[in-house]
Amino acid sequence: MNSAPDNVVELNSVAKTFRDFWMRPTVKAVDGLDLTVARGEVFGLLGPNGSGKSTTIKMILGLIKPGAGTVRLFGLPPDSIAARRRLGYLPELSYLHPFLTARETISYYAGLCGLDSRTSKERTSQLLEMTGLADAAGRAVGGFSKGMARRVALASALVGRPELLILDEPTSGLDPVSTNEVKTLVKTLVKGGMTILMTSHLLADAEDVCNRVCILNHGRKVAEGKIGEIGSSLQDFFLAKVGEGRDFTVAEFLR
Amino acid sequence: MRRWRAIVKATILEMSSEPLALLLTLSSIAIIAFASVFHIHQFGGADSSRMARDAGFSVLLVIGIVYAVFCTVKVFRREIESGTAQMALAHPVSRAGFFVAKASGAFLAYAVFALTVFGVTVTTVVGAKAGGIVARRTGDIAFIWGPALAIDAAVAVLPLVLAAVADRFFRCRFTTAATWLSLAISLLGAAASIALAVAFGFGDGMIGVPLWLAPAAVMLLFPAAVFVAASAAFSVRVKEGVATALAGALFIVALPAFGNYYLSSALSKGATIPWSRVFAAGLAAVPFVASFGLLGIHLFNQRDIS
Repeated sequence: MNSAPDNVVELNSVAKTFRDFWMRPTVKAVDGLDLTVARGEVFGLLGPNGSGKSTTIKMILGLIKPGAGTVRLFGLPPDSIAARRRLGYLPELSYLHPFLTARETISYYAGLCGLDSRTSKERTSQLLEMTGLADAAGRAVGGFSKGMARRVALASALVGRPELLILDEPTSGLDPVSTNEVKTLVKTLVKGGMTILMTSHLLADAEDVCNRVCILNHGRKVAEGKIGEIGSSLQDFFLAKVGEGRDFTVAEFLR
Repeated sequence: MRRWRAIVKATILEMSSEPLALLLTLSSIAIIAFASVFHIHQFGGADSSRMARDAGFSVLLVIGIVYAVFCTVKVFRREIESGTAQMALAHPVSRAGFFVAKASGAFLAYAVFALTVFGVTVTTVVGAKAGGIVARRTGDIAFIWGPALAIDAAVAVLPLVLAAVADRFFRCRFTTAATWLSLAISLLGAAASIALAVAFGFGDGMIGVPLWLAPAAVMLLFPAAVFVAASAAFSVRVKEGVATALAGALFIVALPAFGNYYLSSALSKGATIPWSRVFAAGLAAVPFVASFGLLGIHLFNQRDIS
């Protein structure tokens, strides 16, 4: 497959079926997905819970191997070190070592990016300031609130100054102020030339920051389009695409 | 190299912050310290230092391998199950590099435990020998074990007290501080007891410096390295309980093979193990470490990290 030079991420007929220890199929998480993310855009991968968003992200990161199809990151296989050098990742939950302090955590990821000790110290201090964690830099992250842990994870994703930032549910569980901060940060990073791929089921957030969205349901792409060209609000568009066939029987239940 | 160093450092910190690891270290110190006390009703003071030495090496072998297996399985499984491996592997780190660095960190953390236990063993051997000499001169039986027990109690308790102070006033992590202080105080104790033995020798130089134990202790690092590699390989594929059980089964099967290291016979004769034998033992361990390492890398490369 030849990658277009402006495409940062390319997925071609990608499928993934999870299997148990005995290799019996359990869940078909992604089914024949085609997707491209162009340089400089904010691309939203939307869908209800269990639609295959996180699995898709993990295949792009090389953490999960696709069962079929090809994944390209900067035109390279996703497990290539050269591709991952240009990548930052914020997972859905802030997976952090609880025994490390905020400063140690960011320094650890700076080390994984191969930064020398001086650059690592400089960037760690800058990111602690930027995320408002300077005062808590010496505290173990195990004792942090969800919002603070999220900021440490975000700083860790940015420490290598990536060209592509992958955000998996970046505003999930955050209060309105922190959510707004994340959205402002995304807009600032994109102005600086970064490409962002984010997943969300919070449609208002996606509508605020994304240029283009793709909606997944049951592992399949059900719609794709630019915000503004959809023709209705993202909420209505989403419900029309994903809500089809869903039967809400709350009234019957309450009767 | 920077990536390797970052992962190794984090792994050592993780293992030194593990409460059960500290418990194993303190239990080991207690076993060695009390070994010189329990036997005196049967054997008399002359055997004090030998009991301390045997206890030290038993602890290094048995608890040491339990420590190596437990901590290696723990750090690998936690990394995979808590999701931190996802974060790490989204950075420019190969899976093979991550596996090797993590296993190296686990082995170095075991080496910290081994060095702590070795320091306590040296202290106790010197203390028990000196106590035996003083007891013979003064006729007071308490001297047989008194000095060694006092020093070992200090090695066991002082790190906890200092770590509590560090935690209270300097926001240090208690378990981590206690682990490193145990090492520091154990080595200081060993150095001080050796210096005293050399300086005074109680007139006739009978105490001696038990540095001949060093090659034997180095020899025990090799089986531990094999168990670290094996535990790491099992942990990347199966859950914590199964990985620990597999490593335990390997321990039971492989235990008789430790006779090949000529360790017990050499120690029972109080003989120095030649460094050539240590080197040969190291070479013998290489294929096992390499095989388990390659198996672990292969299994880690095959699995999904989610």
